[in-house]
Amino acid sequence: MVNSAKMVSAVTFLYLFSTVLYFLYLAFRAERLGRLATGVAWTTLGIQTGAILLRWVESYQMGFGHAPLSNMYESLVFFSWCIALLYLLWERKLKSRVIGAFALPFAFAFNAYASLAPGVSAKIDPLIPALQSNWLHAHVITCFLAYASFALSCAVSIVYLVKLRKKGEMEKEGGMTGLFPALDSLDELIYKTIVVGFPLLTIGIVTGAAWANYAWGAYWSWDPKETWSLITWFAYAIFLHARITRDWRGKRTAILSIIGFIAVIFTYFGVNYLLSGLHSYGSS
Amino acid sequence: MSTTEKEKGLLSTLWDSLSSVRLTIPLLIVLAVVSIFGTLIPQNATPEEYLRIYKVSTYKILRILGFLDMYHAGWFVFLLALLGLNLMVCSLRRWPLVRSFFSQPDAKLEEGQWKGISPGRRFSLPLSAGDSLGEFQSRLSRNFGEPRVLQEEERWHLFAEKGKLSRLGFYCIHLSILVILLGAMIGSFYGFRGYVNITEGETVDRVFLRSGQQIEPLGFKVKLDGFSVSFYPTGAPREFKSTVTILEGGQKVLTKPIRVNEPLTYKGISLYQSSYGVASVEKAILNGVERSSGRGFTLSLQPGTRVEIPGTPHSLVLDRFSPDLQGMGPAFQGRLLEGERPVENLVILQNHPEFISKMPGRYEFRVREIQPKYYSGLQVNKDPGVWVVWAGCFLMMAGFYMTFFMSHRRIWVRIMEKKGETQVEIVGSSHRNRSEFEKEMDRIGQAVKEAVSSGKKKGAAGGPSW
Repeated sequence: MVNSAKMVSAVTFLYLFSTVLYFLYLAFRAERLGRLATGVAWTTLGIQTGAILLRWVESYQMGFGHAPLSNMYESLVFFSWCIALLYLLWERKLKSRVIGAFALPFAFAFNAYASLAPGVSAKIDPLIPALQSNWLHAHVITCFLAYASFALSCAVSIVYLVKLRKKGEMEKEGGMTGLFPALDSLDELIYKTIVVGFPLLTIGIVTGAAWANYAWGAYWSWDPKETWSLITWFAYAIFLHARITRDWRGKRTAILSIIGFIAVIFTYFGVNYLLSGLHSYGSS
Repeated sequence: MSTTEKEKGLLSTLWDSLSSVRLTIPLLIVLAVVSIFGTLIPQNATPEEYLRIYKVSTYKILRILGFLDMYHAGWFVFLLALLGLNLMVCSLRRWPLVRSFFSQPDAKLEEGQWKGISPGRRFSLPLSAGDSLGEFQSRLSRNFGEPRVLQEEERWHLFAEKGKLSRLGFYCIHLSILVILLGAMIGSFYGFRGYVNITEGETVDRVFLRSGQQIEPLGFKVKLDGFSVSFYPTGAPREFKSTVTILEGGQKVLTKPIRVNEPLTYKGISLYQSSYGVASVEKAILNGVERSSGRGFTLSLQPGTRVEIPGTPHSLVLDRFSPDLQGMGPAFQGRLLEGERPVENLVILQNHPEFISKMPGRYEFRVREIQPKYYSGLQVNKDPGVWVVWAGCFLMMAGFYMTFFMSHRRIWVRIMEKKGETQVEIVGSSHRNRSEFEKEMDRIGQAVKEAVSSGKKKGAAGGPSW
């Protein structure tokens, strides 16, 4: 009998496979490998979508149906799904596969963490009263789309820094970085992904505030999760101001983008595991 | 340097730094870093909790520096105010530049300006200048807006633009932050945050404030008609529900349930389900066994009321209910009476049947059912600023859309007749996504040329020369 948890485990290995194919594509510069990598990635995304939908159905079969966005396991799978989806959409738009080797590992890692980490339970639990709200969907979906966009920005920033280091040798010899787009277009892509992510993060924070106002009677209580989301927001606001008003480009903004993503990761995991607060139900 | 000059120097330096984006970035960094400290140091905990983590001296220093209630400390509010001021001054300073985009430029560009906006497109059309003008007018009004036209002997100048609003996006975003801060200020000055515990059947007309122990009158009365809690089969809570009636001037105004995520708002004051507990016991049903005879019986008692044990000279009275007696769970304390004389003191535990047989006494009692009387803990808030905050949030979203997803595009066309043919030149400027705009200009030129050639059916349209 197929169940959603088994599908999620399969997705882990398929994303890993796709990542390997993207790397091989870079190494051998074979268009066929690239097409295969993309094909595997799309197929995996399809299976992952099926797993999420199946989990939704399973929760109804258990008698307390709810969208699979309510605990650490479900959010990790959804995060991975968002990263893969946004990456593949960018790949189509840009008609270039070179970021894949750096973006897909994020989709793989979060899905793997969901299905393999002993602390993350795949059990479907009913919603406690605080989570019974339509704001849950708007809040979680916008936050994770924002996080996914920032993950891509971070991936492109890594590509940028790798290419910058290898700039001299690569132009002569080719090698892995030979296919990479020009530094300028990478820089532009770092900016564009943040321009997509920043308004989404803002909507995520605002829907969270609106929800908190319904559930706890306060739209902002400086709870560690709220504060860290604001710190993340500040980090990307600094990126945007540095780039737009101070004309920062290239290495410096790439580093800012990576710092921003570290703040994202801390907001997501660090707050749940290291700090205590109202969002603690997100940790099990 | 005289003192007044010095002061002026200081003031203008202050103004310069306040109005500079050079201040914004460090300010954002400082706010981010101190906020990190605020999440690492527990906020508003009790002194005992702090002393468990910190040395006394560390605790004292943190308290003096305001790190224990950091987000409300004077210096943190000052940093937020400084950010607001910086935003305001920066915005005012940029206004003339932004306004210049709202005054329409001349349809005719001077030669120098024309060259400054590159690269231009140039081609010729097998059409009279007047007819070409008509083509461009209709094309531009479709893609941009009604173009402005200026005729100058044998030359025609057209100008059209769109997305002017995107120049205001940055204002919307920055203004929205001020609006949100304003909403927060309104809330803290004219609102309150309080709480109240109401026992079922009870009515309250005032609440306790979270800050200090003051009491805030509500202006109306709240009666708790009933409270219920339900659980999933897994034991996790499913629903907490308080049914309340609002009374004003002795009249019932409305009766409504309050659940988590479903507050009740009346006259700007919102009531939220926050906690609950057992206030007292309405009725307890006990199963008893007389040890001497082994005879069983059932008693239904209200605490404080004496009930006779049928067929015996004894009666039972329950004096006290403890929701959790020394970690053993819910328990009753009571007395066994013979006539008017107490003969035994009793403790009846609900959850530990293994102790019951070990307890001495004439009878064994087991709790069959407790019908509790609940109290419901309500969070009671008034925040007249919350709608200002939401308005600010919407403004911010609009600002993002305008700033990141719209661009101000201007296009100039000039048409002239030269040696019997019509020459067209197009230039344009876009303050964002230049390459996309280049394509749009190409499409406009292409569309005009196609319209001309299909209209003429002569196949003699001038080829592109870019």
